[in-house]
Amino acid sequence: MMDERNAIEVRNITKTFKVYYDKGTELKEKMLFWKRNRYENKDVLKNVSFEVKKGEAIGLVGKNGCGKSTTLKMLTKIIYPNSGEIEMQGRVSSLIELGAGFHPDMSGRENIYTNASIFGLTKKEIDARLDDIIRFSELEEYIDNPVRTYSSGMYTRLAFSVAINVDADILLIDEILAVGDANFQAKCFNKLREIKAEGTTIVIVSHSLGQIEQICDRSIWIRDGHIALEGNPKDVHMEYLNYMNEQRIDRLERERTDMQIREMNERNDVNKNKKRYGSEDAKFTTIRMLDKDGNEQSTFKTGDEMILDLDYHVEQKVTDAVFGFGIFRNDGLWCYGTNTRIDRMKNFDLEKDGNFKVAITDLNLIPGQYWCDITIEYGEGNPVDYYKQAMKFEVVSNVTDVGISRIPHNWELNL
Amino acid sequence: MKQLKELYDYREMIFSLVKKDLRGRYKGSVLGFLWTFINPLLQLMVFTLVFSIIMRAGYEQYYLFLFVALVPWMFFASSVQDGSTSILREKDMVKKIYFPREVLPIATVTSGFVNMLLTFIVIFVVLIFSGRGINPLAVLCLPVVMIVQYILCLGIALIVASLTVYLRDLQYILGILVMALQYMTPVMYGSDMVPDWALPIFRMNPLTPVIEIYRQILYYKQIPHLTSLLLAFCTGVVFIVIGELLFRKLQKGFAENF
Repeated sequence: MMDERNAIEVRNITKTFKVYYDKGTELKEKMLFWKRNRYENKDVLKNVSFEVKKGEAIGLVGKNGCGKSTTLKMLTKIIYPNSGEIEMQGRVSSLIELGAGFHPDMSGRENIYTNASIFGLTKKEIDARLDDIIRFSELEEYIDNPVRTYSSGMYTRLAFSVAINVDADILLIDEILAVGDANFQAKCFNKLREIKAEGTTIVIVSHSLGQIEQICDRSIWIRDGHIALEGNPKDVHMEYLNYMNEQRIDRLERERTDMQIREMNERNDVNKNKKRYGSEDAKFTTIRMLDKDGNEQSTFKTGDEMILDLDYHVEQKVTDAVFGFGIFRNDGLWCYGTNTRIDRMKNFDLEKDGNFKVAITDLNLIPGQYWCDITIEYGEGNPVDYYKQAMKFEVVSNVTDVGISRIPHNWELNL
Repeated sequence: MKQLKELYDYREMIFSLVKKDLRGRYKGSVLGFLWTFINPLLQLMVFTLVFSIIMRAGYEQYYLFLFVALVPWMFFASSVQDGSTSILREKDMVKKIYFPREVLPIATVTSGFVNMLLTFIVIFVVLIFSGRGINPLAVLCLPVVMIVQYILCLGIALIVASLTVYLRDLQYILGILVMALQYMTPVMYGSDMVPDWALPIFRMNPLTPVIEIYRQILYYKQIPHLTSLLLAFCTGVVFIVIGELLFRKLQKGFAENF
């Protein structure tokens, strides 16, 4: 039996999708190729349980394919779990697919009736809400025109207005606040808050963690069909983002290794690389980017330490040499550049093969892709080996600040 | 019980689907909704022409004999054929949103039913003007047999609608079956023409008593026997119970089988 205080109880649900290699739904196919109907079972959710209290708002987060939308579809009763139970109390409305059953030839007003009836509203109930729905959609002038004449924004506005005015006890939402223009989005958001204040239970699936944090009391992070963590949205999201960044770094590392092998080959093929020019009295031979532990790395978090580790070969003595590096964003914006002369290092000559390192202690760049140029120059500024786009690296971060560089700062609020 | 209450809550959806279907049927034509009446009237004229001039059958006013049975038959045929695709046709909605799935076959059968009711206006007009007349007492039984037929049609529609989702061929197989069944049901002939040895098989057809009652009321102007009405009713109830049980079981997989 259900606890009186709960709006939703999900108990040990498991969902398995059959992934057919070659599915047939025709009789002929079923009979002739019954062997062909082989399939693989893919477990989307494994033994998941959670409860939602009446009036509570929760967010489901997780990466694509983790099973969060499947969970929502089961709450909506579009699909059913293979085992386990879902119990719910009250009228359910879903903002999963807006405008289901809209008929393009019918007017906006007629479509309100059709669409609302799909949510289980009677004519009387729709009559009572009609004005609210039209007002909320801001489509007063167009409401008697056929829906096919509407722009896509108007269409969504109408559909959203219907769904949100159903007065459900439980509202299920999937990535919905990404619709309409900024003003309408803000309006929807406020309406959602209002609905929550009235005691409606809300379940949101979204990739916009910020929206979840603003509305939800609790977040559930689903990973590989299990609940990885649940609790205060901010805490859960922090853990989730850390995990996602690590995954991203892993993947980029794999890609980078492939890419580097390819680039090396290209470089060997074309001796005169256009990205590289100079007298060639001295040349870079190996180029490496390291993290603070000395491991080769091409993805860094904002604020990490990054070390450039460079070997060079000397063909002919270079007197009064200068080493330098520059960082460019992938759109070509020059973020930073310096060299040993600018930094007032002592003058030096290059006589034999050697190595130097640059440690960038706080890589305060905003997330994005960057190129690094490296140079050896003569004292007067002519290039010995100017290597454009010698390295590519990526910066990731949990923080969503904007611009080019994270300027260290502190807030002091005197409220 | 819970399901029934929920279906009652969704009555507005059923109404609006029926309305959409009836209005959409002759959409874009000049005469529009009038076709609902013109169509059967023209059909009747063809029957009259063919059967009273060219192919004279052994029944007096054969066109009426045929027509009062054919109209209920067409309601049955459309319930089965449109009913079998009622879920498939609305798969976008079924995939996207929750509502009791029974709504779809109910709406399809209901819209066929309303269409039959409208055609009955034509039947009555013709019965009166052809001089055959009507027996008011017998006509009082008409709503009962209509409801019985509605229940039977809905039961069968629930079965075929849910099965067709899993086996698409069924919609084409049903086309043939319905046609064959038409010749095994006393639509074009009376059951007096059936040889004795075939009668037991003939009686197994659930449509036979229903069609006969229609004809008894309208063509023979007789009050139908209570037993035959009761028999038809029981058949209808059996079908709707089996239909609903099967439907409820199969509907859980609808969204995953499109």
